[in-house]
Amino acid sequence: MISRNLSRRNFLRAAGAVTALTAVGGFPADLFAYKRRMAKFPEKTDLILLTSRPPQLETPLSYFREMITPNEALFVRWHISGVPTSIDLSEWRLKVGGNTEKELELSMADLKKFEKVTFTAVIQCSGNGRSLFAPPVAGGEWGDGAMGNVTWTGARLRDILNSAGLKAGTVDVSFNGLDKPPLPTVPDLVKSLPADKAMEEDLIVAYEMNGKPLTMLNGFPARLIVPGWYATYWVKSLSDITVLSKPFEGFWVKTAYRIPETDCGCIPPGTTPKKTVPINRMTTRSLIIDPSGSSGLTLNKPVAIMGVAFSGGRGVQDVLVSVDGGKRWEETRLGADKGKYSWRQFFYEWRPTKPGRYDLMARATDTIGESQPFEGLWNPAGYLWNKVEKTEVVVK
Amino acid sequence: MNKLIILSLLLAVAGLAYAAEKDAVHSIAIPVVRTELKAGEGMDTTGKYCSICHSLDYITMQPEFPKATWTVEVNKMIKVMGAPIPEKDAQTIIDYLAAQYGTGNKP
Ligand code: HEC
Repeated sequence: MISRNLSRRNFLRAAGAVTALTAVGGFPADLFAYKRRMAKFPEKTDLILLTSRPPQLETPLSYFREMITPNEALFVRWHISGVPTSIDLSEWRLKVGGNTEKELELSMADLKKFEKVTFTAVIQCSGNGRSLFAPPVAGGEWGDGAMGNVTWTGARLRDILNSAGLKAGTVDVSFNGLDKPPLPTVPDLVKSLPADKAMEEDLIVAYEMNGKPLTMLNGFPARLIVPGWYATYWVKSLSDITVLSKPFEGFWVKTAYRIPETDCGCIPPGTTPKKTVPINRMTTRSLIIDPSGSSGLTLNKPVAIMGVAFSGGRGVQDVLVSVDGGKRWEETRLGADKGKYSWRQFFYEWRPTKPGRYDLMARATDTIGESQPFEGLWNPAGYLWNKVEKTEVVVK
Repeated sequence: MNKLIILSLLLAVAGLAYAAEKDAVHSIAIPVVRTELKAGEGMDTTGKYCSICHSLDYITMQPEFPKATWTVEVNKMIKVMGAPIPEKDAQTIIDYLAAQYGTGNKP
């Protein structure tokens, strides 16, 4: 099991380069190649293809050397195959209604009249890292590339809701996008948030990513941004916001995207949770991006260890790095602070003085002390992955 | 001469209006990617039913599951998603998935 995970992981890390795999040894490089194809979709660069209908595309880890993930490299994740492919902005409207004083039908021009808010926030799929679960679980078999750090611009959800006017007795707010189920029996992708979450200051309806209109596959023309929470709530190609006086009962909240109701959101591997709650805040995590393999590692030559770290909207306090599999830990230098929702780069200069195998690890802690486990925490849907992972390298 | 100028002006204006109209419409064409299932008994039945709602890479990207997991998955597709699959075909599909994309009959 461990070797399966390691080799799959290294295949991802190598992203085409065979060096990492041969350095670790044991498995031929093409063992999982049939599972990991690259594909170019509209407005996107070559990404790792998980599924094509609907599209699910993963970002190669090399893009995470940059503080900001380019629009064309950001991962793509749709659920139901009726994905919007053509949108006429002169006709598109964001409808707001339900338990409100007024019904709104906002055009893009109307949306842009609300105060414009810009911030950088990590977007991460609930199932990022699912392929590393042991025992394995069904779902989108992501490596670590179902995430990115993007500067979002849009209108505050709270301002939009206030302009419609919430009536007394409001409990939940639901969000629907333009994507359509392939058969009427397939539940439409509608998500909801508790009303008090929806009214927090930092949620926005974004119409720009990194200063440009959203790409179609990332939710053109507007999507919800719930910074600090998993992207399952960041409904794409938003068309309807409905204020509810009763708890939302839709499939994708009531049945799917749930985690065990335990402190860690985890249960013993292979078991079934007694009670579950909707997934919410992201767990704290970090990832070493460089070195990605053993190539170029030479005795007594400095090695620039670099990676990214983030939390569920509470910033990053520190990131420690170990080169000996977790026996000794060193402090790293943190890069620019772009706010509590952004990721933080970390840097550590390492000078290997002996040849041999090294296990590189990183461990982040957020500003309230939440950190990462050394063992993979398990839940049946493969969510919340934040294990301290190992990058095995060999110095010659 | 005058008529020609007016005509070309009219054409230019129409062209601009058309461009503005086109600018409001954002379209993409999603590529079709073929995924081959592994050859084996039940491949055709699996390919036929399991590609109704999504591409077959939903199957091929999964790690090797025990037969029990594939049984749960196929039943989920039928009961939760409403996959229109007759019972005998469902069993053929489960057997195929366990043999080709699973741990076989091992638990
Ligand atoms: C009626 C539509 C429909 C049919 C037919 C269908 N599926 Fe699915 N399937 C879905 C939907 C919807 C999802 C969830 C997609 C997502 O979240 O990306 C899904 C997801 C999956 C997944 C990912 C794991 C999970 O449970 O979400 C697997 C594996 C899968 N299907 C296998 C199959 C197999 C095998 C068949 C043929 C027996 C099949 N599907 C037929 C609708 C369908």
